[in-house]
Amino acid sequence: MVPMISKILPKIITAGIVVAAAISLYVFVPFARAQASQGADAQKPQLDYEFFKTRVEPIFLKRRSADHARCYVCHQIKIHTGGPLSLQTLLPGMTFWTEEQSRVNFETVSKLVVPGDPASSLLLRKPMSPEAGGLSDTHQGGWQFASDDDPDWKNIKAWVMGQKAAGSSAQ
Amino acid sequence: MLFAVVPLVASTARIYVTNRGGTTISVIDPATNKVVETITGVEGPEVVRFSPDGSRVYIVARSEDVLDVRDRKSGKTIKKVPISGWGNDAMVTPDGKLIVICIFNSTTGPDPIGALDIIDTKSLEKIKTIPTKGGLHDIAVTGDGKFAAAGSPVGRSITVFDLQKLEIAWEVQYDQGVVPLTIESGPDGAGRRIFAQLSKTNGFSVVDFATHKEVDRIIYPIDPKGYGNSCEGMSHGIGIAPDGKTLWANSRTVNSVFAYSLPDLKVLGRVPLPEVKVLGKEPRSGGPAWITFTPDSKTVYVSTCGARTVTAIDVNGLKEVARIPVGEVADRISTLVVP
Repeated sequence: MVPMISKILPKIITAGIVVAAAISLYVFVPFARAQASQGADAQKPQLDYEFFKTRVEPIFLKRRSADHARCYVCHQIKIHTGGPLSLQTLLPGMTFWTEEQSRVNFETVSKLVVPGDPASSLLLRKPMSPEAGGLSDTHQGGWQFASDDDPDWKNIKAWVMGQKAAGSSAQ
Repeated sequence: MLFAVVPLVASTARIYVTNRGGTTISVIDPATNKVVETITGVEGPEVVRFSPDGSRVYIVARSEDVLDVRDRKSGKTIKKVPISGWGNDAMVTPDGKLIVICIFNSTTGPDPIGALDIIDTKSLEKIKTIPTKGGLHDIAVTGDGKFAAAGSPVGRSITVFDLQKLEIAWEVQYDQGVVPLTIESGPDGAGRRIFAQLSKTNGFSVVDFATHKEVDRIIYPIDPKGYGNSCEGMSHGIGIAPDGKTLWANSRTVNSVFAYSLPDLKVLGRVPLPEVKVLGKEPRSGGPAWITFTPDSKTVYVSTCGARTVTAIDVNGLKEVARIPVGEVADRISTLVVP
């Protein structure tokens, strides 16, 4: 019996170590990754609602030049028909969105940017001239921004980079 | 709104192109291939058409759900006729009595419900709205003015309307969206065939007007370069020269316009269209959009939305003769002939 035990016991111990190692890898590695991801997310700038409402959202309604239609003309939901940048329909007689509508617009527009990464943010690239590295030739609203010197483009970029509005509670 | 007008001599033609991403309509003199007039203050213009005598222009724009009826000479608005929603294309019947307007979305929501609005040009009132399955994109009218055919990208269909009974006559269903289309009419003006571009086909469908069936699907010759999509769809812009001898059809993936003989639909050739230069990358398709012709059928004009130009092409030589800068998102294009 003893010789038999002596042969089996090391196998059980070895198997136990392997199982324990596997469990620890299964449990702890993803946990460690999640920790690292949370760390990266924590480093990403947060998109500020107040900055969006006061500095970005008005750009969609602004007549930026005689050569350009307002963003809203094509991006209102009935014309953009559920496309990625479908903005809420202004209520009759209103010249700006209600608070509730602005919140919806914030959620919609936030999906088109990568916080902290303007080069990967469609909202910034789509209306930018292809000569400046943008995609405006594929934008049905045309070449809205000739370069990154445009003050409206800079405002959107600042929002993407996490700039807060003065007095913002998120500041 | 300003509407500068250049006096026209007898039998003068002008090429009008809507700059949909902007607020203007560019007017080109085909004799010089220069922009000679810019209609301003029309935000997101979709289409401009004319009364047969050239006295009125009819404008549909994204910014307002109206048909803007203007006196061409003075540029003043005669009336804004309310329409059922977002108007897309429009056509005037050959006798000038009706304007038919494609409504892409008659709702305020994201799921488009289409319609055909019919406006009486005498009373300048909307006399009928015919609901359709999906939003309507483009429309063509037979030479005798008895029928109109409209395509729907969402409804994936062509709807043919009887313009005497003011009702739907028949429909053709597809497995993909229908974008621009045109109608070939016989010598008596009766509809013979519909040539319709489809959103996922690098070519066009041929529908027999008598049997109401698709009888052929033409695929453009493949170009070795190949371009990605620009703006919307692979194939966009199709038209028949006024003499009825040639059909011209744009390809966005080939960035060219193809010419076919009629009625046999043999390829006559291909004319490359403007590219868009991209920083650090291969150029992209200029985004061919729509097509029109001079009344003598000698020159075809192609708008390119991404390149913000109109290209003039000699029909016989199959060669570009001019590239005319216009405004943002050069879009629907049409020819005014003043008798």
